[in-house]
Amino acid sequence: MTAVESPKKRGRGKSAKLADRLGWTGGVMVAALVFMAVAAPWIAPYDPTERVGRPFSAPSAEHLLGTNDVGQDLLSELIYGARVSLTVGIVAAVVALILGTTVGILAGYYPKRLGSFLMRTVDVVLILPFLPLLIVLAAYLGRSLINTIIVIGVLIWAGPARVIRSQVLSLRSREYVLASRTMGAPDRWAIVRHVLPRTALLATGTFVRAVSTAILLEAALSFLGLGDPIQKSWGSILFWAQARGAFLTPAWKWWVLPPGLMIMIASLGFALIAFAMEERINPRL
Amino acid sequence: MTKRWTLPILLVVIAMIATACGDSDESTTTTAAPSGTATTVSLAPGETQPPATTAAPAEPITVRAAITGGEDTINPYTYISGFPGWNLLMMQYDSLMQLDADGIPQPWLADSVTANEDLTQYTMTIVDGATWHDGMPLTVNDVKFTFDYFIENATGRFSRDLRGVESVEVSADGALVVDLAAPNPAFDLVALADIPILPQHVWEGIATPGEQTFDISTNVGSGPFMLTDFQEDQSYRFKANPDYFRGTPAIDELVVIVFADDSGALAAIRSGEVDVIFERVSPEQIELLDAQDPLDISQGPEFTTQMINFDASKAPFDDLAVRQAIELAVDKQDIVDTVFLGAATVGSPGWVHPDKPAYNPEVVPVFDPAAANALLDDAGYADSDGDGIREFDGQPMQFEMLTNSSDSLRLRIAELVSEMLADVGIGVTVASVETATWEEAVWPGFDISNGRNYDIAAWGWSAPVQANTIRIAELVNGDPGVGFLNLTGFANDDVDRVSAALLTEADPAASQALIDELQVLIAENVPFVLLAYPDGAYVYNSDVYADWEFIAGQGIVSKVSLLAPGDRP
Repeated sequence: MTAVESPKKRGRGKSAKLADRLGWTGGVMVAALVFMAVAAPWIAPYDPTERVGRPFSAPSAEHLLGTNDVGQDLLSELIYGARVSLTVGIVAAVVALILGTTVGILAGYYPKRLGSFLMRTVDVVLILPFLPLLIVLAAYLGRSLINTIIVIGVLIWAGPARVIRSQVLSLRSREYVLASRTMGAPDRWAIVRHVLPRTALLATGTFVRAVSTAILLEAALSFLGLGDPIQKSWGSILFWAQARGAFLTPAWKWWVLPPGLMIMIASLGFALIAFAMEERINPRL
Repeated sequence: MTKRWTLPILLVVIAMIATACGDSDESTTTTAAPSGTATTVSLAPGETQPPATTAAPAEPITVRAAITGGEDTINPYTYISGFPGWNLLMMQYDSLMQLDADGIPQPWLADSVTANEDLTQYTMTIVDGATWHDGMPLTVNDVKFTFDYFIENATGRFSRDLRGVESVEVSADGALVVDLAAPNPAFDLVALADIPILPQHVWEGIATPGEQTFDISTNVGSGPFMLTDFQEDQSYRFKANPDYFRGTPAIDELVVIVFADDSGALAAIRSGEVDVIFERVSPEQIELLDAQDPLDISQGPEFTTQMINFDASKAPFDDLAVRQAIELAVDKQDIVDTVFLGAATVGSPGWVHPDKPAYNPEVVPVFDPAAANALLDDAGYADSDGDGIREFDGQPMQFEMLTNSSDSLRLRIAELVSEMLADVGIGVTVASVETATWEEAVWPGFDISNGRNYDIAAWGWSAPVQANTIRIAELVNGDPGVGFLNLTGFANDDVDRVSAALLTEADPAASQALIDELQVLIAENVPFVLLAYPDGAYVYNSDVYADWEFIAGQGIVSKVSLLAPGDRP
C-alpha cells in the first residue's frame, strides 16, 4: 500500500512546491508594484503632471527614461501609472467578483428556472466578442476612470460566476444544507450560513485572476485612447507614445518598452498568485 | 475561463512591443506590408518612358509619391479628399488662375482677368496654344461649357464655388464674361483658381455624372500630367505632358502609391521606396527625417487654426474682462514650442495669419498673466475662499473644456491651456469626447441658430476659412445670417458694422482698411482665442527631385512644384 502511494504523494508534493514558488514570485512582483504605487510621491523624481524638461528628450541623468511629448518625466509617469493601473485592476475585479458571486450563488442554489436563465445569460456574456464590445461600450459611455472600471467589471464577471455556481451546486446537496432546509431554515439563512463561507475561498482565487485580466484590459483601452487620456496610466503612456510617433523612432526603447514591461509584470504577478491559490483551494474530484 | 481573454490580450501587448521593435529598425521596415505595393509599381527608370521628352536629360526622372488612402479615378466627380485628392486632380487639369508661392491667384489658362468697378463682372481671355491631352485645342467654349456643366451637375465643391454666378457668356471678341449676383472680391481665389476646366468634346456626352461609372478614359485634361494607369487603392501612374502650354514638366513621370496609414508611408520614405510623401509630416518626425540623408523637409505656413472657443453669450464669458484675461493668460509661444516643437506660427489675436498680405502688423499677441490677474481682480472676480479658483455670483470659476479625442495634439493643447488658466484663478478640467459629441456641443447641427452647449472648447477651422480673408465676417458678425460661423455667440456693434461693410466693399484699398480695422476690433473684443496656425511640413528625397515649391497655405502638392522654375506663376 505505502509503496504504491508514496510516489504519487511525492509527485503531488512537487507540483505543489512549484505552485508555491510561482505564487511567491507573483507575490513579490505584486508587492513591489503596490509599494511603488503607495510610495509614488516619495520615489518619483518629479511630479508627472509638471513639464520639467525639453519635450522628446532621450534618457539622461536628470530624466532616467527621458521625457514625453510635452516634457513630462517618463519615469515619474511610469511610477505614478502603477496607481491607476492597480486601482482599476482591483476595483474592476471587485465589481466582477460581486456580480459573479451573486449570479453564481443564485444560479447554483436555484438551478432550475432562475439558474438556467442566469446561466444562459452567462453563456451570452462569455461568447460575446470581447474586445470589440469593450471598445463600443467605452466609446458609448465616455472617458473616465469610473466608466473604465464599470466597463471592465461588467464584462469579466461571467467566468467567476460559472466557477462559483459549480461549487454551489455541489454544496446545496450536502447533508447539512439539506438538514437545515428540512428544519425550515429560509434559503437566505442557508446561503449566508453555509454556502457563502464555503465559496469565499474559491471566489478569492477567481478574484486575483480577474485583477490580472482587468489590468490588461485597462491597458488595452487606454492604449486605444478609450480610457481617460488625462489619467497617467501605463496604457495612456503607450497611447501618447503611439500618438506622437514614438513607435517609429528610437524613443520606443524608453517610451514604449518600460510601460509594456510594467503591464506584463503586473498581470503576470497576479496570474501567478492566482495559479498558486487555485492549486491549493480548487476542489478536486 | 479567464485564460480565454488573458491570452489574446497578452498577445496584443506583446505584439505592440514587437511592432515597436520592428518599425524603429530600418533593416526590417523594408519587409513591412506596403513594400509589396511599392515594388509592383516602381519600375526601372526609363522602362516605359517616351523618347526625349525634354531637351537634354540623359536619365528620365520618375518621382514616387506616397498618399494615405485611395482617390478613386481622380476626375472632378470621383476624387475623394480635398487634400491631396484635389491637388492630384489639378495635376491633370488646369484652372483659369493658379496660386503663386505666396498663395495669390495669378493668370494661368486665362491670360488676363479683369473685374469691373463693383466686382460683379469678371472678364477673361484664354491663352493661345493650350491643348487637351488628346491633341484638341482648348478654347473659350470649353471654359464656358465647364462653368455651365458644374452649375447644372452638382459636385459639391465646384458647384459651391460658382454660387452667385448669374450668367456665363462668350463675348464677340472671344472673351469669357462671368456676371455675379453680388460683388465678390474673392471670386478669383474661390472659383477661378479652384475649378478644373473640362474638355467639352469629352464631357458633353456625360449627361448625369452622378450616375456615371468612370474609368480613366475620361481623364482628358490640359494639365502637365496625364493619368495613364490606375490600380484601385494601390497606385496611379502619371506621365508628363510634353505639349503642356507652360512648358514641358521638370519630371517625366509621377507614380503615386497608396499606403494604409502614415507610419507605412514614413517607413517607405526612410527605406527609399518612395521619394516624397503627399501628406503633412507630424512635428515630432521632422527632425528625425531631416537628419537622414538624402531626405529634406519643405516647411511653410498653412491656414488651419487651433483655437479656444468660449460661450460669449453667457456669464462669465459675456464679460469682456474675462475674455481679455483668458487671451492674456495663454502663452501661445509655449504652445507652439511644446506641442508643435516650433513648427507652427503663433496665433494672431486678430485672426489673420501674419504671413498673409491682409495681416495688420499692429495686432500682435501679448502674454501677460499679471495683467490678466489684475483685469479679473478689477472686474470683481475674487478668490474669496482661498482655493485658488476665483468666484462669480458665488459660483467657482470652474469649467469643462471640451476637446475631440481623435486629435491628440489638440488634447495636449487643452491640457496646457488648462494649466495656464489655473495660474490666473480659472479652473478648467479637460474633457476628451468623441468628435461627434464635441461638434454637437460646440456647433449643434452645424447651424449656430441652434445655440451651443459648452463653456470652453478647444476648436479649429480648416484652411479655407483662413485662406479667404473676407470670411472673417462669417466668424464674428452677430447676425446669424452673416456670421454663420460665429460659434461663440459673440456680438459687438462695431464688429457687426465693419464686418457687414467688408462683405460688400468692392474697392481693394477700402476693403483692406476694413480688414485692418476689424483685426484691431477682434483683438480688443476677443470673440475667441487664436492659439496657433500649425505649419505644413513635407518630406522629400532631394536626390530624386528637390525643386518643390511651397505655396503658402497649400503646401508642396501642386503642379507648380513639378514645372521648370521658369514656367511657374
